[in-house]
Amino acid sequence: MMAGERLMVSGIEIEVVRRGSGRQILALHGFQTIDPDARFLDLLGRYGEVIAPSGPGFGHSPRPKDFDTVYDLVHLYLDLLNALPGDKVTLVGFSFGGWLAAEIAAACSHRLGKLVLVDPLGVKISDRETPDILDIFNKSPDEVRRKSWYDPERYAPDFNAMSDETLVVYTRNREALCLYAWHPYMYNAQLPRWLGRIKTPTLLLWGASDRVVTPDYGRAYSSLIPGSRFELIEAAGHHPEIEQPEVFVERVSRFLEE
Amino acid sequence: MQAWYHCENVYPFVPPDVLDRAESVRASLPNKYCDPGMAADLFQECLDEHLLCDELGVNVVSIEHHSGINSLYGASPMILGILARQTKKVRILSLGTLITVRPDPVRVAEEYATADVISRGRLEIGFVKSGDSEMVSGNANPVGYVERFWEAIDLIQKTLTSHDGPFSWEGKYYTHRHVNIWPPVYQRPHPPMWAATGDPETSAELGRRGMINALVLRGPEASKRAFDTYCAARREAGLPAPGTDRFAYAALCYVGDTDEEGLRVGSKTLWFLNTSLKQAPQMSKLLPGRSPPELTAQNYRSQPKPGTARRPADSLIGITAEQAIARGILCAGNPETVYKQIMDIYDKVGGFGHFIFIGRSGFLDHKEAEKGIRLMAKEVLPRLPAATPTPDIQPAQAAE
Repeated sequence: MMAGERLMVSGIEIEVVRRGSGRQILALHGFQTIDPDARFLDLLGRYGEVIAPSGPGFGHSPRPKDFDTVYDLVHLYLDLLNALPGDKVTLVGFSFGGWLAAEIAAACSHRLGKLVLVDPLGVKISDRETPDILDIFNKSPDEVRRKSWYDPERYAPDFNAMSDETLVVYTRNREALCLYAWHPYMYNAQLPRWLGRIKTPTLLLWGASDRVVTPDYGRAYSSLIPGSRFELIEAAGHHPEIEQPEVFVERVSRFLEE
Repeated sequence: MQAWYHCENVYPFVPPDVLDRAESVRASLPNKYCDPGMAADLFQECLDEHLLCDELGVNVVSIEHHSGINSLYGASPMILGILARQTKKVRILSLGTLITVRPDPVRVAEEYATADVISRGRLEIGFVKSGDSEMVSGNANPVGYVERFWEAIDLIQKTLTSHDGPFSWEGKYYTHRHVNIWPPVYQRPHPPMWAATGDPETSAELGRRGMINALVLRGPEASKRAFDTYCAARREAGLPAPGTDRFAYAALCYVGDTDEEGLRVGSKTLWFLNTSLKQAPQMSKLLPGRSPPELTAQNYRSQPKPGTARRPADSLIGITAEQAIARGILCAGNPETVYKQIMDIYDKVGGFGHFIFIGRSGFLDHKEAEKGIRLMAKEVLPRLPAATPTPDIQPAQAAE
């Protein structure tokens, strides 16, 4: 994988993948950075200019010293949002990036035209003895693989087939994710209170077979965002944009056209 | 030379088929497999071994490992407290409370100061970075743990050496606005400080700080590299060359009456390597933060390429007694043989002032352990060379 375009935001250098033209669609990656060859990227690029940054420490983006919290990421992306041209931006967040997108939308709805959250993390729903979010660090790789994909044989990463460079990026992404989200694990206990501030039209898309965060978690999440809509995508796990790119983009585009 | 008896208080009584089926014998093995009555017996035995050491002039080590068959000493400061009261003469080394998994170093300092006072100044404080499954059972972020390690040491040192009222600490990892522990440490300026590490950056920093560098089951070559790095860092910092009192070497070790007995009984300690190191991949080689991604990425492959960073422990699993002796991981035989083995390592390493002998592990029983301790104390220890001092480091003194 070649390093993508570089962008300076608030003095911080980040790698960015771009696709398409038109309305600005800021896409925030999940556990892994967005593969520039991903099919959904080309499809989504038909409906606007997709801008997909790699967070500091992820992909090929360096991580500045002491930049190590979700607070840092949210503020960096708020600055990026302000720097994008145009009046309104569409924000799409996947998984961990969905958490960031929800934080951003709660803080800064006025810059957003539409918000799409794809199997997002970031809130605590169940009781204290029921984890909502699969522990991808502490559970066995087999279990994580099984629960992440509808069809793991076809879509789960094949480490033996990956290039060395891609594998290093994969490992780097996990390290960055662990740094930012180890504790509390992948959620902000305060966020549910503030999700009500989101005034942006919001769509939550959920892989029907996601067992990293289940559809029930998604429905509860949706209920915290006023006026949001929750939709399932069949035959998909935690990454519907990868397992069902056509359906995923069709749902997003329909929402954007509304 | 100072000899230190080290026993992890292992729990080897879990049925082998359970261990075979388990993804990990640490962190996730259910504690229903640990019988509290048998655990109580083990504690009594191991603590008695430490009391025997006290009679014989062998120093003792309290270690800490969590949630597994490899050790029941998870609450290490409690063991320190018992040793501080029940032993009378020897020095007690904590090697150590796992500060990277403890949320409040000030509390750790308080525990250390208490043990130092109870023992009237016989405590030595060792720090261990920890890692792997202990990050999981300790609920501690494995990324950034080295930075956290040093900040914790700085805070503990500051806590132990502050005597004029509260101070405030607002660091990157720890904040504590009102630090003023009672009792203060018995030894001044503070008890000797150690760390167990084989990685060059940490050894270099230990050198600059004058702390004692312990190498545990790393063999002579890796130990020499660490000690050389330690010396080089001091040279570069303009500090005097260290004496051997700054270096500690730890190996599995058993002394019998005969070579046959020493080897037969000593081989039982290999259980620690062959059985108790099994950890699930997500708690070990795939856990982020231990080494740079460039070195660990290959671990995701079913067949990693050569040059991939492995945990030092990985190369010990499945080792035989002969291999372990050849690699300086195990010393076993009659007193003469063990003396020669230790001195062979000593010469290869370039000298050390502390020999930590792991004298009980696996199914090696209490009676056997006590026999090994006696023979070590009477037949081997007196022959080992004296440690040489480090010029700029004064021994800690009792508070006036």
